[in-house]
Amino acid sequence: MVRIALIGCGTMGRTHSAAYATIGNAKVVSVCDLDSAKRTKVAALHGAEAFASYEEMEAKGGFDVLDVCLPTYLHKEYAVRAMRKGYHVFSEKPIALNVEDAEEMVRTARENHVKFSVGHVLRFFPEYVEVEKEIQSGRLGVPRLIRTTRNQAFPAWSWENWYQDEKKSGGVIMDLVIHDIDWILHAIGPVERVYAKSFNGKVEKQDHCLVILKLASGAIAHVEGSWAYPKGSPFRMTYEVVGTKAQVEYDSVSDSPITLRTNTNDVPECQFLNPMAQAMEPYRKELQLYVDAVDHGTDVVVTGEESIETLRVVLAAVKSSKTGESVEVSK
Amino acid sequence: MKKIRIGVASFEHMHAKSYTRQASLMENVELVGIYDGDEYRGTEMASLFHTTYYSSYDDLLDAGLDGVIICTNNRDHAPFVVKAAARKVNILVEKPFAVNLEDAEAMLSACKENGVRIMNAFPLRFNPNIIEAKKEIDEGKIGNILCITGINHGKIPSGWFLDRTLSGGGGIMDHTVHLADLIRWFSASEYKNVYCEGGCLLHDKGIDDTGLVMAEMENGVFATIDCSWAHHANYPIWPQVDMEIIGTKGVLEVKAFAQVNHYVDEAQGKIEDISWDEGGDEGLVREFVDVCATGREPLASGLDGARALEVTDGAYRSLASHEKEEVRHVRA
Repeated sequence: MVRIALIGCGTMGRTHSAAYATIGNAKVVSVCDLDSAKRTKVAALHGAEAFASYEEMEAKGGFDVLDVCLPTYLHKEYAVRAMRKGYHVFSEKPIALNVEDAEEMVRTARENHVKFSVGHVLRFFPEYVEVEKEIQSGRLGVPRLIRTTRNQAFPAWSWENWYQDEKKSGGVIMDLVIHDIDWILHAIGPVERVYAKSFNGKVEKQDHCLVILKLASGAIAHVEGSWAYPKGSPFRMTYEVVGTKAQVEYDSVSDSPITLRTNTNDVPECQFLNPMAQAMEPYRKELQLYVDAVDHGTDVVVTGEESIETLRVVLAAVKSSKTGESVEVSK
Repeated sequence: MKKIRIGVASFEHMHAKSYTRQASLMENVELVGIYDGDEYRGTEMASLFHTTYYSSYDDLLDAGLDGVIICTNNRDHAPFVVKAAARKVNILVEKPFAVNLEDAEAMLSACKENGVRIMNAFPLRFNPNIIEAKKEIDEGKIGNILCITGINHGKIPSGWFLDRTLSGGGGIMDHTVHLADLIRWFSASEYKNVYCEGGCLLHDKGIDDTGLVMAEMENGVFATIDCSWAHHANYPIWPQVDMEIIGTKGVLEVKAFAQVNHYVDEAQGKIEDISWDEGGDEGLVREFVDVCATGREPLASGLDGARALEVTDGAYRSLASHEKEEVRHVRA
């Protein structure tokens, strides 16, 4: 049984908590959050102990893995502290806000012989897994043109509104389209050059980015991410891969198996539900595989090194969006 | 009723067929004749449209025209336009306006000097879905425009389109201008700089077939144009023109050719989406005929065509330099 200590009981912490409840060889034993109501609720689900500070939780000990679901700017501090004590660490994405921090995390994991992984969860969404298989089988020929979108309203739920603070979240390129960039790197190949634009904090409560990637293979990609949709807009993600032999398209809204329309107190609502691909299932798979790697001493699926590569491309895009120039991705 | 005398110069670009059909359906139009350098094609089209075939462009212009529709290959737009302008004939020229900005300037100044009107064939300005989108935006429904994403995918054409000397370039030359024009029209601003990645990636025809263009407007709006011939031969529809417009108060998505019927045709072994949208050709030709009748300034003018071409020009320079390029503007 792998014993989990969960730090951060916001949206992602609660998602991980729900996932662990379905994982047979994991048990959440400790939960930490500044907010008493949040930590108590998550702890109650698992019969775990609730802590107001990491220090107390660490002093108590009795866990194998620290799962870091804190805002991005805090990932490194807690990951490194825990790994130095010999704990395995699973961190939500992005790994960190800069390469130096990310490298320190990976180095610390190596030096302390612990399993470290990062939540690039898109790799576990069944529609992305399926298309990756077809790409690898050669059905598309050589992938040449890739388009991805990930569009939604501004995340209004965050603690101290940290999403709006670019120094904490990194903005929409760092926090949102990092998913698609990681998937492109993983499923198609390395990126050579980036050109990007975003609102860059110039628009209140709205952020939006368009990123063009030139891959080492010669392929090009258009990556779009939005926190600019009006409040209440359904989340939507799409992709399109055009290869020399075939092309494939997916749209989470138009390909949604369930459309639910309701009207409560004269407020119409339309939801698109996808039981196979909505949040819970891919997170369960991601965490199950990580827990198995810890349990059996096998390799993690998403490595820290890969997460650094993804971060390098993301940082190149952020830089391009600020300088207005194309940016070569550093090796 | 005085009839507007229209001639058609060349069916090298297949859009000529649709424009000529629209013109021939108008009661106040007299289709005077068709010039085509290809005698077989020219006589075939003249027969189809019950009009006279001219083997000489000069003879067609001498027949006394109010307007000429020019659908040659892209390179020949410039000499055909300049010649028509000299004969005081109003012009509707196929897109892209020209193959380079120098030609575009020469065409504009020839029309200006001779006092003739010139239009560039941007049928999307007359597409009902695009017009409705523009109306919603102009009414302030989505607030101020911040960002636009445009996709103009289609199948790879054949023949002279793949010959750089006649076409001026591949997909980037062929497909950038439609959206470049709409983005400029919607955002009411001029282009400032442009970046492009692309190349001969999909079809191995020795010419660029895939391109992603990102442009910034003077007013800060930024936009991308996917101008790729991205559809494989059996893709169910041709063409695709989609825009997503992000505003301060909302988002508008418009698909110019979304309204289709889905055919699963066992006998022909194909699955096909047949658009029943009015693409825009009818409105385009009606506009041209009205411009010929009244002499008023057209919507989708030659200058609009030249401004859209500025993006293509910048995109090809960026494709070579791998850097952002400042947009070069033609003299109005």
